Amino acid sequence: MKHLQPINQKAGKIEHYLEHDVVALSGQPRGYTVPQQPDSPHIPMGCSLVFSPGWEVDRSGGTAGLCQPVERDLFDCHLGCFWPAHVPDQLNHSPDWTSKCAAAQKDWRSLDIIFP
Amino acid sequence: MTTKPREPRIPVAYMLVIGSLIFFAAALLSPRDSIAVSPQSSSQDEEGSDVGIAVEHAATVSNCVSCHAMDDAGRMTRISYERKTPEGWQQTIRRMVLLNDVELEPDVARDIVRYLADEHGLAPEEARPGFFEAERRVIDYDYEDDDTEVLCIQCHSMGRVITQRRTKEEWELLVAMHRGYYPLVDTQGNPGFRRRGPPSSDGDGPSDSRHPMEKAIDHLAATYPLETDEWTAWSANRRAPRLGGRWGIAGHSAFSGPMYGFVDVTPVEGSEGEFTTEATLTNVRSGEATTRTGSANVYTGFQWRGRSTDPGEGDSMREVMFIERDWRRMSGRWFTGAYDEIGLDVTLYRADGPLITGVYPVALRTGAEMEELTIYGINLPTDVQPADIDFGPRVVVTEIIDAGADAIRLRASVATDAAIGKRDLFVGAAARPEALVVFDTVDAVRVTPQAGMARVGGVVAPKQFAQFEAIGVSNGPDGEPGTDDDLDLGALDVTWSLEEYSATFDDDDIDFVGELGADGLFTPALDGPNPGRSGNRNNVGDVWAVATYESEELGRPLRGRALLIVTVPLYLNMRGWEPGR
Ligand code: HEC
Ligand code: HEC
Repeated sequence: MKHLQPINQKAGKIEHYLEHDVVALSGQPRGYTVPQQPDSPHIPMGCSLVFSPGWEVDRSGGTAGLCQPVERDLFDCHLGCFWPAHVPDQLNHSPDWTSKCAAAQKDWRSLDIIFP
Repeated sequence: MTTKPREPRIPVAYMLVIGSLIFFAAALLSPRDSIAVSPQSSSQDEEGSDVGIAVEHAATVSNCVSCHAMDDAGRMTRISYERKTPEGWQQTIRRMVLLNDVELEPDVARDIVRYLADEHGLAPEEARPGFFEAERRVIDYDYEDDDTEVLCIQCHSMGRVITQRRTKEEWELLVAMHRGYYPLVDTQGNPGFRRRGPPSSDGDGPSDSRHPMEKAIDHLAATYPLETDEWTAWSANRRAPRLGGRWGIAGHSAFSGPMYGFVDVTPVEGSEGEFTTEATLTNVRSGEATTRTGSANVYTGFQWRGRSTDPGEGDSMREVMFIERDWRRMSGRWFTGAYDEIGLDVTLYRADGPLITGVYPVALRTGAEMEELTIYGINLPTDVQPADIDFGPRVVVTEIIDAGADAIRLRASVATDAAIGKRDLFVGAAARPEALVVFDTVDAVRVTPQAGMARVGGVVAPKQFAQFEAIGVSNGPDGEPGTDDDLDLGALDVTWSLEEYSATFDDDDIDFVGELGADGLFTPALDGPNPGRSGNRNNVGDVWAVATYESEELGRPLRGRALLIVTVPLYLNMRGWEPGR
């Protein structure tokens, strides 16, 4: 039962989000019968969770704070070797990534030495 | 409402400095000039002159000695002071070729990796905690030392770090390698490798003046030294395992459900630790059988690295398995997909006698009557009688529908007052502990994985898919949810849907991220800026994957959900593709 009516637009909006389970506001997921549900996101392996923003997720574990669109950022990352495990780095491995010419060495990276 | 401006990944102020400094810094710190070529420094000698593994392999010596000098004891700089997995050695050798101008034929590189992974490798106990790295598993790994973790997981997983053993000097040189190649690591992230301000003191204690990287080096050198009891013992005991023969296999894939079958393993004549394989797998849901042929190398006596192909479909899977010391069991993951995300968890059991690999369905309800169930295995008795099959108290096999050596189809009934819990199964001389679950109600739905990740793709980069599964959960004998005695009941038939995970006001990710199919497979949307989205954002976002199960006994739907992060592609990966070229 409702005890309060929203008196302006903003309050109405907040109420709307509370009812619709805005995670950032309510914390706990509601209306689910399941035990052991994560109430905050787990970060899958390989994600860079400490940097804000990280590559896959931002500090809160979501995508909302990522630099967007990623294409805006790619060239800088390439030049600065800023995400060397995510974007070809200009300084070492991929001096000519942006020039779109195939590097003679490229095969070596895809060459499988361990698996038959 | 407009989206808030996003922080660029490289703060602008840094960029200006970098422009001029980057080449200078690289030249100054470049390990090419200083590290490899100089003899191992004196700090190594202080630790004792017997530290270091002699290299006794002609190809390694002849191809590497020009830069990695050898001393009188046969030790080579760098190489003799490190131990790692085959993947670890592969990465180093690729870097030698790509960045240090080493010229190698692929076959020679394979021979060198094989030698180093065997002789400068890890013991089984050392490899197990980081095995997920080689299995390419997405897990929520929490490392014990937080300071080292935050420093080292910004670009790659901690798995890469904990699967190496080095002298302290080698940990220092590794950090120097990062700083030389990627000068921004000093300031990138929070913290960077170097501290930004003056040393901070925690409360009253003396302040720790070490840089974050120095703390990490101290931690890593103490935790992952070159010399360990495990390695000494394993290198004395190690041999190429004899794995020839038939193995029973139990597999599970979120994509296709449980699979059972067998794998015939044949040693390659004249080789040590090389095998060919032929596998027959039956998908228990569809009943369809597939065969895969492949081959494998075993490194360090216990690390299986194979590749197999379904001749019909031509898809190739890599196989990573851990062979137990008794050579009777191996387990791991077979995988494929652009990001190795499509995988099969497998356990292989040596089948030299009758063997049970599993049952389907995995759970029976109390009061079930004449329920059909199949026992999978190898060498099962074909003349089996209902009385030979023992599921424990108050579960009765009423009929054998048909009995083959690899599957027994039967009907079973469960008394209404049977106790709920896990049941061991015996068929003649074969046993499988906890093969079946007896339960009364489906109390909850658990969606696995609890946090999934997909990547947009299809234009420049490939898509990374995410597959969800809805597992029935019983509260177990104590009737309480979320306790240790909860029982997994296997996959349920559910309806799938996406719901918004509202991280911001007016969050509309759900309209863009992609589609969750009726089978729980999420297909992400295209990569690239989306002009239809505010700020030209990509089709990234955070949503819930929701499973709804219509429960007849409760008369209402049960729901479970998992977080799904749909994020940006990788623009390079270890397989070498660089989309955008
Ligand atoms: C042309 C010179 C050169 C040759 C030949 C060479 N290396 Fe190197 N090696 C380097 C340089 C420079 C470094 C330091 C920078 C780096 O790690 O990339 C290095 C570093 C290493 C390291 C330490 C890497 C780490 O993880 O910290 C190992 C191990 C190594 N090399 C192994 C080999 C092996 C094995 C061979 C033979 C296949 C080889 N190198 C051949 C130049 C060479
Ligand atoms: C700025 C991103 C970044 C950070 C931060 C980072 N790494 Fe790396 N690391 C890389 C990249 C890129 C490579 C692959 C280099 C290559 O082989 O080309 C790598 C390779 C490695 C390797 C394998 C090297 C070999 O040849 O065996 C180890 C081990 C490693 N890193 C450990 C660490 C540790 C420990 C830390 C924390 C102190 C750390 N990394 C932090 C980017 C990073």
